[in-house]
Amino acid sequence: MRVLDFILRRLFTALFVLVGVSVITFFLSRVIPNDAAALYIGPKARTEDIERVRKQLGLDKPLPVQYAVYMGELLRGDLGNSISTKRPVTQEITERLPATLELLFAGMIIAVLVGVPLGVLSARWQGSPMDVFVRMISIVGVSMPAFYLGLLMQIAFFRHLDLLPLAGRVDSDLRFISPIQPITNFFLLDSFLTLNWVAFKDIFLHLILPASTLAAYPIGLIARMTRAAMLEVLGQDYIRTAQAYGIRQVVITYMYALKNAISPTLTVIGLTIAYALTGTFFVEVIFNWPGLGLFTVRSLLNVDYPAIMGVTLFGAGGYVLINMIVDLMQAWIDPRIRLK
Amino acid sequence: MKRILFVLSLLLMAAMLLTACGPAATEPPAGTVAPATDAPATEAPAMPVVLKIASSANITTWDPVASFSTEAAYLANVYEQLLRINPPGSAEQYIPLLAESWDVSDDGLSYTFHLRSGVKFHDGEPMNAEAVKKSIDAAADHAGASFIWLPLKDVEVVDDLTVKINLTYAAPVDLIASSLYGAWIVSPKALDAAAADENFWSDGKSYGTGPYVVESYTPDAEIVFTRNEEYWGGWGDGQYEKVVVSIVPEAAVRQQMLEGGEVDLATALPVENLDTFKNDPGYSVHEEPSFFNYVGFFNTLRVPLDDVKVRQALSYAIPYDDIIAIGAKGLGTQSFGPVPAGVFPWDGSVFQYTYDLEKAKALLKEAGHEGGGFSIRLTYAAENATEEAFAPLIKDSFAQIGVDVTIEPMGFSQQWELAKTDPANAQDMFLLLYWPTYSDAGADNMWSMYYAGAEAPYLNVTKFNLSYWKNDQYNALMDEAGALTATDYEGSKAKYVEAMNILIEEAPSVFFFDTMAVFVVPNRVEGFQYNLNYPFVQFFYYDLRAAE
Repeated sequence: MRVLDFILRRLFTALFVLVGVSVITFFLSRVIPNDAAALYIGPKARTEDIERVRKQLGLDKPLPVQYAVYMGELLRGDLGNSISTKRPVTQEITERLPATLELLFAGMIIAVLVGVPLGVLSARWQGSPMDVFVRMISIVGVSMPAFYLGLLMQIAFFRHLDLLPLAGRVDSDLRFISPIQPITNFFLLDSFLTLNWVAFKDIFLHLILPASTLAAYPIGLIARMTRAAMLEVLGQDYIRTAQAYGIRQVVITYMYALKNAISPTLTVIGLTIAYALTGTFFVEVIFNWPGLGLFTVRSLLNVDYPAIMGVTLFGAGGYVLINMIVDLMQAWIDPRIRLK
Repeated sequence: MKRILFVLSLLLMAAMLLTACGPAATEPPAGTVAPATDAPATEAPAMPVVLKIASSANITTWDPVASFSTEAAYLANVYEQLLRINPPGSAEQYIPLLAESWDVSDDGLSYTFHLRSGVKFHDGEPMNAEAVKKSIDAAADHAGASFIWLPLKDVEVVDDLTVKINLTYAAPVDLIASSLYGAWIVSPKALDAAAADENFWSDGKSYGTGPYVVESYTPDAEIVFTRNEEYWGGWGDGQYEKVVVSIVPEAAVRQQMLEGGEVDLATALPVENLDTFKNDPGYSVHEEPSFFNYVGFFNTLRVPLDDVKVRQALSYAIPYDDIIAIGAKGLGTQSFGPVPAGVFPWDGSVFQYTYDLEKAKALLKEAGHEGGGFSIRLTYAAENATEEAFAPLIKDSFAQIGVDVTIEPMGFSQQWELAKTDPANAQDMFLLLYWPTYSDAGADNMWSMYYAGAEAPYLNVTKFNLSYWKNDQYNALMDEAGALTATDYEGSKAKYVEAMNILIEEAPSVFFFDTMAVFVVPNRVEGFQYNLNYPFVQFFYYDLRAAE
């Protein structure tokens, strides 16, 4: 009951957040001085054609009416049509989402697999050269801009070492050699499920650079968070007791200490997923990754307000959802939160 | 640790749920790499001869009627017009595509086109007079570039392969019918389907007669074209079986892809890095005149710009060479009036202003503005990096003759909106990049930008004569020239040149420079020829061949 109550309360506040976001983005995108109808029809259009489009898009109505119409359509799952591609925004988003999520998950998996052990090692040997090294890595990871790191990696691994592909999600030859059968549109998963190893290898290689670039920031954050939490836990009495019992240090560190230290790290992971979603904007542009980020950047440059609204609402929704899931997970992992 | 894995897998599941929501989820996304009906993944088909291109051009629509933007690069390989114009200097002015020949009536009011027989659209429909009529009617009615068909009275089906285009006033239909916009001949079935369903063109579709068809389209990522095996022109050795276009917005990435051999061709390369290719014997670098030029309108309704002497003075105070060097990175030539080099009715005999500050000062003195002493508000399109680069040069130079310039970048549509709706509060000087819609800069550049409407501020229907300049003699010459184009090319050009001389003398705008297009072609690709009449096409895939 308590869990249900909790979820309902969170859903209610989430609704408020989303309505707020929709109001702000809607009115902001409308006060930018730009003629959406003229953009829609393209250059050199006749005035009467622009007026026709203005009517057709409902842009001749007062703003509050336009907002009501927009929200009405939104409730039916319709985010309107993009100005620059003329296609439904919902379709644009759903088509690109798998690419972005694939990148996001690959990045987050790298971040967790690298960040958590780094944090643990650094806490376990606090003050050692290892610790100094890890702290340095975290600072570099957190402070180096993704677009710079991405370019450096391209120069190193494509230009000089010729080990990894420059950009894109798959090699364009792949379709002729060993085409992917789409099932989930997570290409790595699809090629795995269809046992298409040629494609799997190609997709995997294409993922490495962008996912690592995306992971740099979360790695730093997660390593530092894990280190701090681990230090606190490792200094506690029950750890000393365990050590006195002669339990192996590996078991103590990973089984007893990490479990209690992971809660704050989990929050950080949840938040960085949402943060990394915006991080994909840079990464996707540099690596020409055909996902939501590339679409958003293009929409911004074209002042494509239905697309900007759609992506913003979608991002806000995702953010709220991830936060909620993280809260629930924490309650699951740490009984103390559940009992409170 | 188990719980963490559990948490992660839950997050993954949540994300998959997210992707599964939304109305499009029930149908397969348009951009999947291969249809599920393809050969099983384990079989490796023979590698076809593939041309790979990294392109900056995005697709705003697949609708060949509505198209009025960068997607022309792709549509031109899928659709055909009745005729295609050859580059200037070619032996023949036209390549006959869907029309094999045509006759013009003596009064220039009707054009009869004899169509190629046995041509089929990609959907199997026959290409005939009915189909041509339907396409032109659709274009005249609701194309992005409908205005090119303004002279059209009706399209008459004479017999299955003969179509007669009747006009209300004489106009060069051969030029209009070869336009890059509003002139594609499209399968009548597709036109009907599009009329019934507004989302018909939302995915990559091919309903033309051209040499290639769209095999797949992933928005913002990739377009794959494959041969139309039944193309009427036939296929020869070395022509590409497939063309894979990667849409890459970043110029630096396109360059790296070309250098690294990931692609065979790339469009819109960063001009500052061209030397890499010029010094490499594996590539040839083509620098060609283009369809584009830059002009700067003076607001001739406002004091002191209403004085022709002041406008001439300012035209002499433009550092043309520096502007080309900095704005165009050297890839441009000073304009001869409003018509870009190589486009009808361009003429190298018309007057060009030089950079001559003494002359400028003297003219200002004559006009009663010795030492300048007035100021000018200059606007340019903020998204145009070239204008951004050269606008300060105008300010510096005008300062030397005592004219103060305030530079104001604006979004293009804002700038245009201000200039056409409110001339009283508009800019004093308006920088504009212009290009003709089809290969008649008399009917477009000279008409759209300088032909005066009836009432102040003299805007004509295109709303591009933003110097608000009115000259009855110019208007009269333009009317005469336009009527002559259909029947008497040379006579028409002579009238246009006469009009240009008046225009340049009166200087309602500055004519900065014509831009140049740059193409880098590796030796492994043969047959490249740039056609300036189709500036947004860049490559006609059918003409290209893989070197031995």
